[in-house]
Formats: sequence, structure tokens, C-alpha cells
Amino acid sequence: MQSHKIFELISIDRREKRPYDVQIKDRIKALIIDQTFYYQDILPDPLELSAALNIDQEYASQAYKNLMKENFIKKTEQGYEVAYLELTNYFFDRNVAIYDAIIALGLTPSIECVSKKIVTLSDDIAKGFGFHTARTFLYINRIYKGNQRPLIILENYLPMSIFPDIDQALTGIEPLNAFIFEHYGLYAKESHRITKAVNLPDHIAKYLNEPAGSPSISSTNHVYDQYKRLIDYGQSHSTSSYYFQSIISPNK
Amino acid sequence: MDYIFIDKTIKTSIYKQIASSISKMIDTGKLTYNDKLPTEKEICEVFGVSQTAVKMAYQQLIDQHKIKRIKGKGTFVTNRETYHQEFPNIYAFEADQENECQDILFDCINDEYMTQRMLKMDKNESFYVIHRLIKSKKNPLVYQHVYLPEKFYPKLKKNYPYKDGLFSLIQETYHHRIHHIQNTFSPALASSAEAQLLNILSGEAIYLIRSQIFDDNQHIIGYIVNYFPGEFSSFEVTVHAKP
Repeated sequence: MQSHKIFELISIDRREKRPYDVQIKDRIKALIIDQTFYYQDILPDPLELSAALNIDQEYASQAYKNLMKENFIKKTEQGYEVAYLELTNYFFDRNVAIYDAIIALGLTPSIECVSKKIVTLSDDIAKGFGFHTARTFLYINRIYKGNQRPLIILENYLPMSIFPDIDQALTGIEPLNAFIFEHYGLYAKESHRITKAVNLPDHIAKYLNEPAGSPSISSTNHVYDQYKRLIDYGQSHSTSSYYFQSIISPNK
Repeated sequence: MDYIFIDKTIKTSIYKQIASSISKMIDTGKLTYNDKLPTEKEICEVFGVSQTAVKMAYQQLIDQHKIKRIKGKGTFVTNRETYHQEFPNIYAFEADQENECQDILFDCINDEYMTQRMLKMDKNESFYVIHRLIKSKKNPLVYQHVYLPEKFYPKLKKNYPYKDGLFSLIQETYHHRIHHIQNTFSPALASSAEAQLLNILSGEAIYLIRSQIFDDNQHIIGYIVNYFPGEFSSFEVTVHAKP
């Protein structure tokens, strides 16, 4: 975005009762939420901004500080960058693979495989995940990235009885849904998700480049194939800047 | 600690006796949410049992989500009910007559740019602000900021008739027809003020749900910001692949 345009958008009202830093913060926040400023856009330096608005530098700095606290912007090598990302493809309404969702955001997707191994689970744990008979699984732990930045970390348990030799066939960096369809002719017909807001545990925060304890949406997923079999149990954690939308139509 | 009873003459293992004593107190409501439990050392001292037995007892209760350990603070009862809903019913609490609703702030203002923008209103147009806390069985279920444009809710008063919830106020009292509600879900950290209202710890996760309410003419007739305590709220959905 042209920088002179930005200064036109971030204005303050000297007659307003509210302090300048609150006004600046609210304006930038609104511009981010309605996507005038988009993910990874660089905002003007607080020095520049305060000069353009002809106010004390402290106001702009304070506004940016609070925006960072609320996870709307992040300080990077490039400057103050919009960190807010909204998954506008309606997570709750459609069964969209994360990989495709990242593409829909206009980002380049990639997957990093952190761990891939065969595990045998105890009866209690396997049943807790929802598997009646399967006890041996391919466990994969992968980070989905957009433009090389981690967005979501996802652990999956795939029963070996349904996916024989999957430990050989799957490299770990390919989109899972497409792979399963191609190799086994199975597709994720139904996906059951429970989401919660959690504080990121240390070991997961590290992979997402976030401070430990950062807020995150965590989702527990059960995926069923066209034969109604549970083919995948997974748990995901998103970065704090990952949001999603959904619509309720009460009269439908 | 007087609620723990151990009988060393019977066969039942010590750890099971400790766990079931505490469990019984939680189930019968004698120990409630956020009550602090004795330390492992204290139990060992009073009952002359091994620390391993106490550890095992606590671990069992942690696994059952009845208690939790907070680093540096101690072990606490955490048997708070979770607000669990299937996605389209996230606002089910509005119509639940058993819930208690407490208004914290009522105001009518015209100088908050951020909210005016979310309501797609012009500068200087007025809107009502209602901050409320909804409780279920004494525990906070959600803390809400509700914004209603004055032009759509003329003469709204603090004691608006709302025993049937916000949606009844919108649809029945003011005869607006809700076409759809657009929701954004995001995670946040509780500020110390939010934590105090939600009875959680400062810095714990909040499930933030922002909702814009649209009528048939695509006007935004309300904007709600919901702060759900992360640990005690979950939303469920089943999505189907397109045939």
C-alpha cells in the first residue's frame, strides 16, 4: 500500500475526548479487521506516523504497543507488520483441507513434517480417540505454513489397518486428504470438530514461533470416510493470529 | 484437609482412598471451583503416607479433570461446567431461563470509531453499549459487550424487557428480522479485568467470538463481542464433504 494513502486512513480527531493513542489504536484495528490492511502489510513506523499526524511520538508508540499486545500487529525485521489473519473460507460450514484454506488466503502453502512414526496405543487411549479395534497407527506431526510462516500444527493418528504401508508411501510433506484419495480411494466424507481456546503448551509454541502460553484455537478432529469408518484422529493448534469465520442463518 | 479419610486397616489402596475422599467432596459440592487442596507434603505429614500415593491420587483426579495443578501456586478444584454447544447454537445461553444475567454497564455513546465501523455507522451516530455477565450455576459462562445502534432501538432503557434474552429483544420487542449472523472466532488472553469477571486467571485463554447481526436489508442491527473462558467453553461442528 502507498504510504501517503495510509496516513490518510489513520487520522485523529482533536475534538474527541479519547486520547490520541486510543484513537490511533482503534482506527488501525478497524482497518485491519475490515481488511483494508491485510496480513503481512507493513504499517508506517510510529515516528513517521506521529510526524504525519503532528502529535507527540509517544501516542503512536503506545498505540502500536497495545496493538501488539492484542496480536493485531507484530514487530519483524521489516517493521510493524499486520499479524491478523482471518480464515474467511468458513471453517465451520465447509469441509476444506487446511492446505486449500491457506491457498484461499492468498498465501503460498507448505508443510513441514516434524515427526512421522508408527505407534501402538493402549486400549484406553485408542478407545478414547474413538477407535474400536485399531491399535497401530501412523502418527504424523506436521506444521502447515503460509508464505513460510507457521500457521497451524496438526497431529494425526492414521490406523495402519486402513492404510497399509502408509509409513512407506507418505513422505510427510504432501496434503493429507489428496494423498489418501489418490492412494487408497478414500475421502474425508465427514469431519467432526470440537474447538476450544487454549494457552499454547511450551513444546507446541516453539514450533509455531510463538511465546509459550500464547492464545490459540485448538481443534480435535475425527474424520470419517465414505464407509463411515473413523480414518483419522487429529488435534491441531493454530497461531494466535489465525482466526476463522462462520455464518449462522437462524431462519433457514 | 479434614475431608480426607484414610483407613489403613482395609485392603483398598491408600491412593484410591485419598482420591475418592476428595472426589466425593467435589461431587457433593463441598469442595467447589478454585478451592485450594493441601500440598502433597501436608497430606504425607498428617496421614503418614508416602508421597507417591498422594501423587498418584492427585494424578488420577487431574486425569478426570476434577482438579488442576498451577505451577508455583498449588492444586485447585476445577469441576466447573463447560459450556459445550454445537456451532449454530452458540447463543443457546440467551434463551436458557436458568442462567442468571447481570448487567454491568449501560450507556449511549457516539464517539467510538471502532464500534461505529463494525456497525457500519456514520461518525457521530449514537449506539447503546451494554456490558453483561451471564452466569450458569454461579459460574460465569460468558462476558459480553453488546452494541445496538440507537436508530434501530429507539428509547431503549436500562431495564429493557429481556427475560427471554437479547434475541427476543431484537426480534420481538423491536420487530427486527435477523437474516444472518456473521461470526469471527479468535483466541485471546484474558486481561486482569476480564479474568476477574470470568473467574479465571489473568493471561488464561479466552475464546473471543465477535458477531455482526444483519437484517433482511443487510443493515447491521447489532454487534456482540463475547468473551468465553477458554477452559470452560467448546464448540462442536460436523461438516460434510461436497458430494
